[in-house]
Amino acid sequence: MSARRVAAVARRIVAQFRRDHRSIGLLVVAPIIVMSLVGALWGTSAQTVARAVVASDRSVAAARVAAMLDATAGVEAREASYAEGLAALRAGTADALLTVGPGGVTVLLEGSDPLRTGGVAASLQGALRELGPSAAVSPRIEYLYGGADFTLLDALAPVVIAFFAFFFIFLLSTVSFLRERSSGTLERLMASPLRRGELVLGYLVGFTFFALVQAAILVSFTVFVLGVSYRGSLVAIFVVEAALVIVSVALGLLVSAFARNELQAIQFIPLVVVPQAFLGGLLVPVDQLPDLLRPIAAVLPLTYATEALRAVMVKGYPLDDPLVLRDLGVIALFGVLTVGGAIASIRREVA
Amino acid sequence: MDGLAIFAQGVRKRFGAVEALRGLDLTVREGEIVGLLGPNGSGKTTFIRALAGLVRPEAGKVSVFGRAPGQAVAAGLIGYMTQAAALYGELTVEENLRFFCALQGRRDTERAISEALGTVDLEDRRRAIVSTLSGGMRTRVSLAAALLHEPRLLLLDEPTVGVDPLLRRDFWDHFRALAGRGVTILVSSHVMDEAARCDRLGLIRAGVVIAEGTAAELTARAGASDLESAFVRLAEASA
Ligand SMILES: Nc1ncnc2c1ncn2[C@@H]1O[C@H](COP(=O)(O)OP(=O)(O)OP(=O)(O)O)[C@@H](O)[C@H]1O
Ligand SMILES: [Mg+2]
Repeated sequence: MSARRVAAVARRIVAQFRRDHRSIGLLVVAPIIVMSLVGALWGTSAQTVARAVVASDRSVAAARVAAMLDATAGVEAREASYAEGLAALRAGTADALLTVGPGGVTVLLEGSDPLRTGGVAASLQGALRELGPSAAVSPRIEYLYGGADFTLLDALAPVVIAFFAFFFIFLLSTVSFLRERSSGTLERLMASPLRRGELVLGYLVGFTFFALVQAAILVSFTVFVLGVSYRGSLVAIFVVEAALVIVSVALGLLVSAFARNELQAIQFIPLVVVPQAFLGGLLVPVDQLPDLLRPIAAVLPLTYATEALRAVMVKGYPLDDPLVLRDLGVIALFGVLTVGGAIASIRREVA
Repeated sequence: MDGLAIFAQGVRKRFGAVEALRGLDLTVREGEIVGLLGPNGSGKTTFIRALAGLVRPEAGKVSVFGRAPGQAVAAGLIGYMTQAAALYGELTVEENLRFFCALQGRRDTERAISEALGTVDLEDRRRAIVSTLSGGMRTRVSLAAALLHEPRLLLLDEPTVGVDPLLRRDFWDHFRALAGRGVTILVSSHVMDEAARCDRLGLIRAGVVIAEGTAAELTARAGASDLESAFVRLAEASA
């Protein structure tokens, strides 16, 4: 293994794309557009009126809380018994049932529609914060349907970042390597002392560089422009990102072995990328998937990257948290398999 | 095997239904310039790729400086110029050459690049993006890339296609100079006046070498007046 040759390949890839302004632009602009759309989507759902019921039979000062909540923007509140509130949640005529006990506020969310749930939770939290320091203790949130993971307004940002890193880098590396094959340069490389492992490693380094630049821009955009709150360390985010990108580059190289031209490569997107979008946590949280699909999600690298990124970005877990470590481990395993596959797919004897 | 640059015996290679090489024999001594002459599809490129370790023959023996082709490649002994200029179109001439230089492990990159560019007379296009060059210029860059690491064996697959006559003469002067320094050159070609400049020729047809010798020998053997008609006669006689 020669570091010089690996570096030469990596530098070449960076140089090639540096001149390809359109690809660079798409790498950054497309995710920003999507992020903004997502931001707008979440923004509007955050503004949708949260219909709250304060459980009069289990709360202290239910009438006063209901009146105060009702007075804040974005919340419509009334007072009813717990049983009535529950029935309203089930019927879809209310979004949240509040119990204001001496220990704090418990919010039971309807929870079946992630987009709406996020908006409702955000509105309620905002309203509760406005009620003053006594209510500022963050409410305990429970769900009638669904789980806990996707209720944070900003839970989607890490997923979008992970998805776009995966998608674009996969696409770029597939097409680059395909060109390497079709233009004859691969033949030239194979007739030089460069080893296959060095070539793959060079690709990994080169594209990881782009992915990290992309991630830096996206994270800044989501944090500073879209105002998504984030807690984890930047290093942690980049480590997860880099691990995912290694998988996507290697997968790209692997796929390019099965495509004869760019058109065919594009046709791999439905096979490789779309399932990850649907099942990897981008559209539906993994724990919301039907039992039948969950095993599929379990073998998609994006599932783990999403979970790890969400943990470090939203929940502020450190890198050495067992959950994050487990996810990184699984991604690393995918990395070993795909890199091995990529190396095996490059044969010195081209024919 | 001392003094032998290329040793090939009974080399066979088939691609599906096509038998590209059917027992090809060829020996090339160090410092020789040998031309491979043959019609389209006769197996010239396939044989050259076998020497560069890119094609694994099903039968026969191929060695380069007494080693397996793959080992010779890894040791940086072989410079291979492909039939179509295989370069990175998005990069400049200089960036392409610097990249190939690094792969071959040559340290004095700048000197190597200057020398190679001097040979192909492209110093003034050093910073040009390769995709903006003319076809002939690209061929020249491709040759420069094969020369960079001063290989002991140059495999040139139709190196002068699209190169103008003046430069072609310069190329051959340069090939001569390299051979004088002990570099072995195997060059495939269709151009007869170019073939005449080789030390020795191998006529290849349907994957076998049908005749071998200097241009004069081959012409005499065929009882022809020039190399071109000799080539045609020998090819017909073997059919
Ligand atoms: N990778 C391949 N897959 C299938 N067939 C191949 C492959 N490479 C070469 N062939 C076939 O092998 C035969 C010899 O091809 P080759 O390229 O060696 O010819 P050539 O002498 O270099 O021809 P030309 O003068 O046109 O360059 C041809 O019939 C060709 O179609
Ligand atoms: Mg050929």
